[in-house]
Amino acid sequence: MDFFSIGLVLACASAALGALWRMRGWFKRGVAMGRPGQDRPRPGVLGILGMLVGGLADLVLLRRTMRSPLRWTGHTLLILGFGPLIVLHAMDGVVTRPFFAGYEPTLDPWQFLRNLFGLLSVLGLTLLFLNRCMTLKKFSKLQDWTLIAVVFGILISGFLLESFKIMSAGDFKRMVDDYFVEAESEELISLKAYWARENGVRFRQFLPTAPELLELGAELHEDRCAGCHSPTSSAFVSRSMTSLVPASLYIADQGRDLFWYVHVGLAFLGLALLPWGKFFHPVATGINLLTRGGTRTADTPTHTLARGLGLDACTRCGQCSLHCSVAPAHRVLGNPDILPMDKLADLRCHLDDRLSPGRSAALVEGSHICTECLRCTQVCSAGIDLQDLWMASKKSLTEAGRAGVDGEIRKRTAGEWARELASRDLGRVGGTGAGLADRAESFWGCVQCTTCTGVCPVVAVSEDPSRDLDLAPQQIMNLLRMGLKAQTLGARMVWSCTTCYKCQEHCPQGVPVADILYELRQLGAEILRKKEGRS
Amino acid sequence: MKYAYFPGCKIAHHLPIHGRSVEAVCARLDVELVKTEFSCCGYPVRHESRDASVYSALRNLALAENLGLDLMTPCKCCFGNLQQARYQAGQDEKLKHRMKDLLHEEGLEFPEKVRVRHFLQILDDLPGSVASAVIRPLKGLKIACHYGCHALRPENITHFDDPLAPTIFERLVAATGATPLPWDLRLECCGYPLRGRDENIADLLVAKKMAGASSSGADLLATACTYCQLQFGGENQKRSQTIPAVLFSTILGLALGLNPEEVGIKPGDVLTRFVV
Repeated sequence: MDFFSIGLVLACASAALGALWRMRGWFKRGVAMGRPGQDRPRPGVLGILGMLVGGLADLVLLRRTMRSPLRWTGHTLLILGFGPLIVLHAMDGVVTRPFFAGYEPTLDPWQFLRNLFGLLSVLGLTLLFLNRCMTLKKFSKLQDWTLIAVVFGILISGFLLESFKIMSAGDFKRMVDDYFVEAESEELISLKAYWARENGVRFRQFLPTAPELLELGAELHEDRCAGCHSPTSSAFVSRSMTSLVPASLYIADQGRDLFWYVHVGLAFLGLALLPWGKFFHPVATGINLLTRGGTRTADTPTHTLARGLGLDACTRCGQCSLHCSVAPAHRVLGNPDILPMDKLADLRCHLDDRLSPGRSAALVEGSHICTECLRCTQVCSAGIDLQDLWMASKKSLTEAGRAGVDGEIRKRTAGEWARELASRDLGRVGGTGAGLADRAESFWGCVQCTTCTGVCPVVAVSEDPSRDLDLAPQQIMNLLRMGLKAQTLGARMVWSCTTCYKCQEHCPQGVPVADILYELRQLGAEILRKKEGRS
Repeated sequence: MKYAYFPGCKIAHHLPIHGRSVEAVCARLDVELVKTEFSCCGYPVRHESRDASVYSALRNLALAENLGLDLMTPCKCCFGNLQQARYQAGQDEKLKHRMKDLLHEEGLEFPEKVRVRHFLQILDDLPGSVASAVIRPLKGLKIACHYGCHALRPENITHFDDPLAPTIFERLVAATGATPLPWDLRLECCGYPLRGRDENIADLLVAKKMAGASSSGADLLATACTYCQLQFGGENQKRSQTIPAVLFSTILGLALGLNPEEVGIKPGDVLTRFVV
């Protein structure tokens, strides 16, 4: 077993087992998301046909990436280049040779096409790299850069390998030994002279340039070599690159050996990494685009498996996070899980039960700050039904007792919160608040007339306000006036305020009752963020 | 008339018909709506953080100001929070500084001039009255108007209408040829803000409100806010005997002679008797 066979077997095993493991995740996480609702209308025959066309258009034309022309161009070039390279070049033993009579990698059109496809890929990848640097840098992680680096490495090492092979006198000798056994030394010299001049092979020995010798070399070439060798000038990229190596350096044989290992090794690495993170996106995203059928809304029926697939189809292109409606809240609060791309990754970990408590709290906050505005779903270039994932995960998190700030506060009574918070300097915690609750002036006018409580619709619908709400609005104002903020923070009245502002509008003394209740909730949220280590 | 159109987050998925009917009505009345990519108004996140809420709102106002347009929203909660944000920044120098810094990082200026208008206000402002554009008067239709809290109160911040005796909604309903009915709870809360926070009280509030509208003798309850309509509409779906809640944009669209389907009237709806 040599390097190639061992590497190929290991890489294929990693890719195949990893892909199975990824697909198992589609089932597992799909089930963990809970049963999808059955309220979405099923499409008719025409609808299904439309979805088929839409899905294909999204897949083949990369329609969903068109909002960024740079990215669309880059990705299209990369697919047009790298796809054929994988099929025709990397898998030539099982595809090109059996299906195309007379295939030789050194014959045109293959030699030319390999360079063309390689060049398209390099151009495309460069555009994608620029796009990531310019618009997505802040969202990018190790796997984003690794994927670009591995593919770029495969392409560049391929060109370098071919360049050194073109220059290699060792390769020339090997071929001559195999196919030119009975040659006389003058013939060999003239063939060398011809190959040095026409095909760029670099020999250490001095070679004559007399026309009649070159002519003899040309004849020999036609007779013995040309059947398998097109002029190396058709490998236009690799041949041009040979001029980068100074003529005085004879490193072609070593370079060829080195870059063979680099090129083949990186190709195996890429194959082995296929199941890792976004390396899998050509598989998962492709299937997801087809199953979503061009839909940009969350109106078509979903399926457990489709949800699991959607969770796995993110390409980390960052569009959702760039266009997210609550991105301003993320800028202020700094929780990465407010933005869809990171939230999706953490939701995946959460469904796998491997999210740390801190990240878990971040996911819950992000999940509850999401306004379900549909925009991420509309811009997602992988076509993921994010809207459905957000609504379903918010519901299941809530059912599991993770209902955000409100839920956490309600887990304990007002008295328990009062005891816990009594020892803290609450004024300092709410540093960014308006400070209304801490300012004596806010309550100077309060004469405890109970108007706020009297007009409160929440108090009005409660059969037993002291049981349901702990404190009435005017009692909260009174406690705050006495500086007993901790006594009020856990009161149900604070958290069940419907924010209708009737209390504030009707207060004859101008106490900003509703604004103060808002401030208390903001303070509660801030205390929890601190407690959970999020700020 | 031309406005930067601020639909708010809930329309796209949860109530698309509100967006479609508002746009159709505006097109019919020659009100041009300019669309740009706004973010959330900051209302939902106000419970979590004042800075996040105020910044979300100001960023939108700055975007509208860049367009050189006043902003129009059909949602009362968006309207209220956009007004709140500027008021709060005006009250607190430190907050205003933090907001200016955040805006500058995005290349935006603190919005000083842009006005925030609600859908009902721009209809009320129209130079030619809405009534003159009505071609299918809704004669005999009795409507209970639901105001929506966040536009109405606190009046010193929202500047929407008289907070104790508002008339704008009834005036516009009358312009369609329908009859607005007085009723006790028209200024009360719909209960939506407690959805997901205190479902029990949210249910009690909406039930009380709809019972009140029903006992006023109205044929339907009119709303002009995405959240309110979601709350009442949800109740309509859960309990079929409740008074139907209809968006004012749908009612007006019908009176303006727009395609009933386009403004959200489905077969069997209370308004179908006016469809010729």
